[in-house]
Amino acid sequence: MKTITLTIDEKTVEATEGEMLLWVALDNDIYIPNLCALKARPLPDANCRLCWVDIEGRSAPVTACNEPVYNGMVVKTGTERVVRLQQTALELILSTHPVDCGRCGKNKRCELQKIARHLRTKLKQKRLRDISKRLPIDSSHSLFSYDPNKCVLCGRCIWVCKEEQKVGTLHFAYRGFAMVVTAFGGAPLGEADCTMCGRCVEVCPVGSLIFKNAEK
Amino acid sequence: MRQSSSTTDEKEIRETVAIILQNFSPLKENLIPILQSVQSAVGYIPQPAMKQVASFLAVPAGEVFGVATFYNQFRLIPPGKHPVKVCLGTACHVKGGNIILEEWKRRLGIDEGGVTQDREFSLDRVACVGCCALAPVVLVEEEVFGTMSPSAVEGILLRIRIEKERRSGCGGNEE
Amino acid sequence: MNRGTKTAVLQNFAAIKGRALEAWQRSREGEDPCILIGTATCGLAAGALEVFKAFEEAAAAKNVRVHVIPVGCMGHCYAEPLVVIRKPDFVPVLYGKVTPTMAGTLVKQCLVENNFVPELVLAALEENEFLPSIADFPRFARESRLILRNAGMINPEEIMDYIACGGYDGFVRAMQMAPEEVIDVVRRSGLRGLGGAGYPTGKKWEICRNGSAALKYVICNADEGDPGSFSDRALIESNPHLLLEGILIAAYAVGAQSGYFYVRNEYPLAVKRMRTAIRQAREIGLLGGEILGSDVCFDLTVFEGSGAFVCGEETALIRSIEGERGMPRHRPPYPATVGLKGAPTLIDNVKTMAHVPGIVTGGADEFASIGTGSSKGTAVFAVAGKINNAGLVEVAMGTPLKEVVFEICGGIPRGKSKAKAFKAIQIGGPSGGCIPEQFLDTPIDFDSLQEPGAMMGSGGMVVLDEDDCMVEVARYFLDFTQKESCGKCTFCRVGTRQLLTILEDITKGVGRSEDIDLLVELSEDIKGGALCGLGKTAPNPVLTTIKYFRHEYEAHIARKCCPAMMCRDLIAYYIVPEKCERSCDVCVGSCPTEAIYTAKHRIKAIDQEKCVKCAACMEVCPPEYDAIVKFSPADTVPPAPPRIEEKE
Repeated sequence: MKTITLTIDEKTVEATEGEMLLWVALDNDIYIPNLCALKARPLPDANCRLCWVDIEGRSAPVTACNEPVYNGMVVKTGTERVVRLQQTALELILSTHPVDCGRCGKNKRCELQKIARHLRTKLKQKRLRDISKRLPIDSSHSLFSYDPNKCVLCGRCIWVCKEEQKVGTLHFAYRGFAMVVTAFGGAPLGEADCTMCGRCVEVCPVGSLIFKNAEK
Repeated sequence: MRQSSSTTDEKEIRETVAIILQNFSPLKENLIPILQSVQSAVGYIPQPAMKQVASFLAVPAGEVFGVATFYNQFRLIPPGKHPVKVCLGTACHVKGGNIILEEWKRRLGIDEGGVTQDREFSLDRVACVGCCALAPVVLVEEEVFGTMSPSAVEGILLRIRIEKERRSGCGGNEE
Repeated sequence: MNRGTKTAVLQNFAAIKGRALEAWQRSREGEDPCILIGTATCGLAAGALEVFKAFEEAAAAKNVRVHVIPVGCMGHCYAEPLVVIRKPDFVPVLYGKVTPTMAGTLVKQCLVENNFVPELVLAALEENEFLPSIADFPRFARESRLILRNAGMINPEEIMDYIACGGYDGFVRAMQMAPEEVIDVVRRSGLRGLGGAGYPTGKKWEICRNGSAALKYVICNADEGDPGSFSDRALIESNPHLLLEGILIAAYAVGAQSGYFYVRNEYPLAVKRMRTAIRQAREIGLLGGEILGSDVCFDLTVFEGSGAFVCGEETALIRSIEGERGMPRHRPPYPATVGLKGAPTLIDNVKTMAHVPGIVTGGADEFASIGTGSSKGTAVFAVAGKINNAGLVEVAMGTPLKEVVFEICGGIPRGKSKAKAFKAIQIGGPSGGCIPEQFLDTPIDFDSLQEPGAMMGSGGMVVLDEDDCMVEVARYFLDFTQKESCGKCTFCRVGTRQLLTILEDITKGVGRSEDIDLLVELSEDIKGGALCGLGKTAPNPVLTTIKYFRHEYEAHIARKCCPAMMCRDLIAYYIVPEKCERSCDVCVGSCPTEAIYTAKHRIKAIDQEKCVKCAACMEVCPPEYDAIVKFSPADTVPPAPPRIEEKE
């Protein structure tokens, strides 16, 4: 594997050629907002649309999770148009996500809080309509509870359940705005086949899947 | 009674699906053609059928559920005896297709995607059925009704009811 | 392929073609007259099957020997069912809106008594001394029919008809060339993808050809999902072998052995006809192993799409063939390098494939001589909406929009009592935009259409008149894209939902003053931020309607007024007492909610509480009274006269 150098925000960093830019940046303590990326996942899903960067020679911002690095690459993570896309993506997610951090078990460890802090923006947004779905919370599982309203549909839980643990209990169902993470037939997770590994909860970037002992 | 009739249904469905599966090799790429065959034989895709298909293809049942809920074609509940489909393609829309849809909703007392309690009618919207020159268009079962007006809805319903009474009259024993 | 094999291919095909020409002569140019009946979906919906039977029965009753032949769609949806009658001693004559009764008349008059019944004739297909010919109609004279040439003339379920008209000549010629030469012809022709994006076809073929994999696929994308476009459907139903031939040439050129024809399951007739075409081609050795005695192998499978607009996107289409949820993935890699099951996969739209045989037969230069600098050949549009002659139109690239709307399709239909004004053309479906009057001179080609903010799209053209509210049109398309979003990425899943919510508020009269700017900002971000083409183009209907019809948005928000009187929350119906013909009760009967009552002097009036604003009364009110009018804002409607008790 060839080692190359690239510049991210004027900082020169070394990396292995072909590695994805998002991980190179994060490994070098340069934060780029992200929700859906998982390092172990060979093909990035690129669904959260948060990890925007500007790369010299490209006409528009691109997502860092699926940009392989090359020698001499010049990257900027905080240009105006990058921040605008990140800001809007975050606002869109928050327009469906009930913001009640004080009572959320993920408070202070939530990726959305981290992204909002990074973008210097408030979690309570006013620009867009509140279109949260108000679905019932599923507390049937003995180990964790599942609040589909807080879910950002990043798909991390589904990937670890199927590809890492080879269990395949969690899936996407339905389509578009109605899309949800669920078990077969929409059954309560407590009734689904589950090996209790808890990996889905560990990778959830927000307070959607949360261990019962962590709830407030 | 109810219980036993639904178990027979389930058994019947299981057998139907088993026959369908004989025509396919257990490859994931056959999932959609299999579900299409199940739907055309059973009228919808019951959950037990999804499980049966999943075990045949050796994939998690949730994955089959995910695919079945993704595509417009697949129904998760049984359709009515007379499925009503209101075209809402662009041409039908600009000629008032949504008003026709509302009239059906009002007359049948169900929302789109719904089935009447007596299981006689189900109501769905479809994107362009390809008869744009006849807009607005409604399909009842396979019959095309073109240049629909709200007041024509009642006429169609009446016709179906008369048809039904005539048929039950034939099979009846009043005389 | 060595020279011996090439010669064998030619000989084998010549034998087939000989049989085809013989059969054609018998049925079309023989002593017995022939009757062609359009039996594509549009024709069938208009009653073509009954007409077909009526012709057969009438001919049998009169003891007339005649070939009654089902054909595809000529594109004249407004005049379906269409029938062509050809007698050995005269030019073929076209009849429109034929009914079973007319069929009986035509058999008797035309076939037995030798009278063409000029009052029923639409036109003669060739020039003659007695009847006007199609050359006199702009509809026919201004069209350039390349891929629709045989549509409506040949029996789509009979391969020999296609072969007799020069079908598979292109494929046989391609087999005489090296695959690279075929690609070169396509490249030089300037053909671009007609699915919407306009990527150069030859270039795509070349990339796929250069893929080193042993296994490659060709997919023909017939997942026509635009609401308001039916051009692919009509083409498949009318001439499936043309597509099959295009696919065969593509497969030979890129070196694919296997392929899929991906067609919507909502098009049952197209599915059936394509399956028949495949079976027939296989039977005579044009498909399968050792095609025409060569070492070329290719087989095609029909895959029925399950109803997801997003599967028109190529990576989503591939996922669905693989048995997954049709969610697009990031590109690159493009399918031409990594496609179906990881193999290089060539995906071309129906209309692109349909051009290929003609390009190979006629040569690259001939094709490139039609059209404009960067857009070659023809464009096929399904024209519908507020238009006199709805149907399928094929014009040379570069033809101005105006010509299509006002000359070829006959302009905007009159209203009940007055002419209606043109407002806009919605082109390109949910990914396209609305083009207002000042851009009607825009030539139809890939680049020019982008200037006013629209795009070629996949061939839908919906004409809108003064009664169409542009906010409502934008809402309609966003409702569609929002429902059809796969849900994968944030910008499309949530962004289109936000756009829809805002548009709904505006059409209901509860929009906020900052909403127009918000729609524009959000639209720009969705264009830049969404993962796939569906999401990136979804805001186009919003952006173009705001750009050209901002005043309509402002009227909705500021005054709760819908200038086109379409948004039902903002309008009210009213019966003008002075105009109402008191004893005519036709409006009362038309009302689905019994909202119309009788007032003093038997004048009719509308109970606003009960009225659902369906416009049924307005449509039935006889034009000589024309008593029903709309008001917007709704609260400007004059008070209705009081109800009188029935028993008084």
